[in-house]
Amino acid sequence: MKVRILGIAITAAILVVGLTFWRSTTNPDAGKSANFAAAQHRGGQIVTSGRAAPRTFNRLLGQDQLSFVLGVVTQGHLVRVNYETFEVEPWLAEKWDTSPDGLTYTFHLRQGLTWSDGVPFTADDVVFTLQAIFDPKTGSYISDVLTVGGKPITADAPDPSTVVVHFPAPSGPGVRLLETLWVLPKHKLEAALKAGTLAQAWSTDTPPSEMAFMGPFVIKEYVPNQRIILDRNPHYWRKAADGTPLPYVDRIVYEIIPDQDAELLRLQAGEIDLTQSELRPDDYVPAKRAEDQGKLKVTEIGLSPMADAFWFNLKPEAWKSDARFAFVQKKEFRQAISYAVDREKFAENVYLGAAVPIWGPVTPGNTQWFWPDLPRYTHDVNKAKDILKSIGLEDRNGNGIVEDAQGHEARFTVVTQRGVGWYERGLAELRSQLAPIGIALEPATIENATLNQRLVKSDYEAMYMRFGTTDLDPASELDMWLTTGDAHFWHMGDTRPEAWETQIDALMKQNIATADQGRRKEQFKQVQRIFSDNLPVLYFVAPRMYYAYNVRVEGVKPSVLRPVALWNADMLSVR
Amino acid sequence: MIRFLLRRLAFALLLVIAVSSAALLLTRLAPGDLTSELGPRARPEDVARARERFDLNRNPLAQLGGWAARAARLDFGDSFLYDRPVSPLIRRAAGNTAVLAATALAIATFLGIPLGVVTGSRSSALAACIRGASLVCLSIPPLLASLLLVFLASRTGWLPSGGMTSVAAIDAGWPAWLLDVARHLPLPALALALPLAATFERLQAQAMTETIHQPFVVAALARGVTWRRLLIDHAWRPSLRSMCAIYGLAIGALLSGSFVVEYVTAWPGLGRLMYEALRARDIYLVAGCAAMGGIFLAFGSLVSDLLLFAADPRVREGSGK
Repeated sequence: MKVRILGIAITAAILVVGLTFWRSTTNPDAGKSANFAAAQHRGGQIVTSGRAAPRTFNRLLGQDQLSFVLGVVTQGHLVRVNYETFEVEPWLAEKWDTSPDGLTYTFHLRQGLTWSDGVPFTADDVVFTLQAIFDPKTGSYISDVLTVGGKPITADAPDPSTVVVHFPAPSGPGVRLLETLWVLPKHKLEAALKAGTLAQAWSTDTPPSEMAFMGPFVIKEYVPNQRIILDRNPHYWRKAADGTPLPYVDRIVYEIIPDQDAELLRLQAGEIDLTQSELRPDDYVPAKRAEDQGKLKVTEIGLSPMADAFWFNLKPEAWKSDARFAFVQKKEFRQAISYAVDREKFAENVYLGAAVPIWGPVTPGNTQWFWPDLPRYTHDVNKAKDILKSIGLEDRNGNGIVEDAQGHEARFTVVTQRGVGWYERGLAELRSQLAPIGIALEPATIENATLNQRLVKSDYEAMYMRFGTTDLDPASELDMWLTTGDAHFWHMGDTRPEAWETQIDALMKQNIATADQGRRKEQFKQVQRIFSDNLPVLYFVAPRMYYAYNVRVEGVKPSVLRPVALWNADMLSVR
Repeated sequence: MIRFLLRRLAFALLLVIAVSSAALLLTRLAPGDLTSELGPRARPEDVARARERFDLNRNPLAQLGGWAARAARLDFGDSFLYDRPVSPLIRRAAGNTAVLAATALAIATFLGIPLGVVTGSRSSALAACIRGASLVCLSIPPLLASLLLVFLASRTGWLPSGGMTSVAAIDAGWPAWLLDVARHLPLPALALALPLAATFERLQAQAMTETIHQPFVVAALARGVTWRRLLIDHAWRPSLRSMCAIYGLAIGALLSGSFVVEYVTAWPGLGRLMYEALRARDIYLVAGCAAMGGIFLAFGSLVSDLLLFAADPRVREGSGK
């Protein structure tokens, strides 16, 4: 009997110790109190979700989507781009003056701003952040954005509430570039910068008390693979029109839900309020049903500024001695494809009708830079066949596939990302629409890591996928437009550009160095025209974007850019 | 017994080394590497920095050697995805998986074995129904089972449809936190347990059928032992031998192979961590997860041996020689 009691006691003790250990490992920051003042409990909380964990809390380094979202809700910048109007508006700087030559901006900071830990925010923080960005040991990707004419933007602080920012050369986007200048707290990070360890600072296991923020929320806790808890910043500066201190809600909880189907189910069940992305085409019907039941609100955001792209690898070295490159590199070949595709049908079959035809990379969703008069390739199969014939491609052996005089067939393997329904549908549709003109596409779906590697190494024949963007200004896409860009994806490492590519290079360089927005638009129209004539990349439709969120959330103004809803996190409230 | 345990321990060590080394090498040799996570627009200098930090510039064997030397000092490297050391990530995830697997195993055991005794010892409409249900559970893939359960949970609201704790429990105390975890457990546990329970039922039924036709059981029946006592005291225990053999493997598989269920139900366990690490080619996290999976598998195998040791006198006698 005694032995049995002892056994039970030992088992119970093991259980308690085990559970305590598990609890402590699961919730590592439990019991630690963040160094923030008590939150004002007046607004409830919003539960949002995403599919990935952040890689770092260091805004100078994090390029993943969640790092960006966290930056938006926790950090501050001198100016911000309003994701509803896409105009630049004052933020930590109350106003600014521009010098006549457009090279110097004098920013006047708002009075009485403090970091989340109560330390005053000053112009020195801005100067420090620019130093940190351009420190080679930091290795911040933002240094590229803030480099104008090959030289870094600099700043000085004549007094604590004034920052003078010097552009080394004229800049098209101008002050808009400074949206990427997420200001860091000098008092927290100066030592790390001096020690050359800023790249290691603010990793995801940094205790929240060692960080300070200027955004509406502060990081309270991060439980890897589960959630991030963001609490109200008690020192946040912004007030609503009626004088109510913002943000409205006390807390945002970011749940990490890897599976998008499960995420939608949890949204429908009311377990999450907001997601970080628009609805997938297939999710529209179930979301609409939930709206009919009064659970969700589904809203059309507008046309996406991003579209799925189809392109051939135009890097000659990638084809080695493959004779098919002789016709792939001809713009007529690509024009024939553009004529052969019925874009209305494409929209119907791939996006269930929720898309509009496009003929270039800039969609009507980009209201500021879209050019509606861009020449169009109206659907015409016979014209497509004639063009192919004019470059020597005919179906000589009657097998339904065109070939050149030496018998090289226009048959290509097209790779796309596995698991993305609309990519797979888009490729299947393209395959069926190009079959009548004798071009055979063989789809290959591969996982993202392999796809990216093959793209970077130019190890593919053709590809179908979409690239994201964080801004609508073409200056933000320079890495794609310029032949020297790291994302000039149809011809990576282009050392012998074609004449039309050189023209685009010259126009884009002018564009980023032109302050006059009217002239910039004219220059960019020319870029679009040249691009549309040569078609290094083919675009077919721009999808309509729909967003669903819990009806209890108010103040949601979904944007075509991500983060769709959290870009104005301080204005969101719950019923 | 001590020699037996030492042998098992040595086997476990070899298994962990083999599994983690193979995982590291295969991840390294697979197409794509962790720099793909930086996206197609990554700057070359960022890619170079990541390659340097994660030893991707060294040849695979040199990288394995360096990792093994550090691992011997219990430094399993850093995770690229989480930008922190691998060890605490794995500890936390393994704890969560252990809780999930233990619950699933308990459900599968208490459901599958008694049902197997019933279906293996009689032919009736009830037994036929149980067999049919088992076959359905066996044929539904875990992905579908998880999605179905998540769907049911989200529609009915009876259970949380994912995660390990709810937002309401964030600031709650210890007891409320445990209760909250308990509310989240049934869904992933059922998704894992149902096919396992069906496996147990089928195996137990087969073993039971074979055992009740053994001469010693027939003799007991002839001696007038009641059917109920005959089943429990005479037939069930010998029939457990095949169950014991599979039970340990089931433990190992549960602990190391709950990828899909954890992914769909957002349970923050080892399976999900491993899946994300593999997808991102987060090489040291993959190796660490594989090592922990190996430990679980070795543990399952040990449990299997011990159960067999306890259930079958022939094994005990054999080990004593």
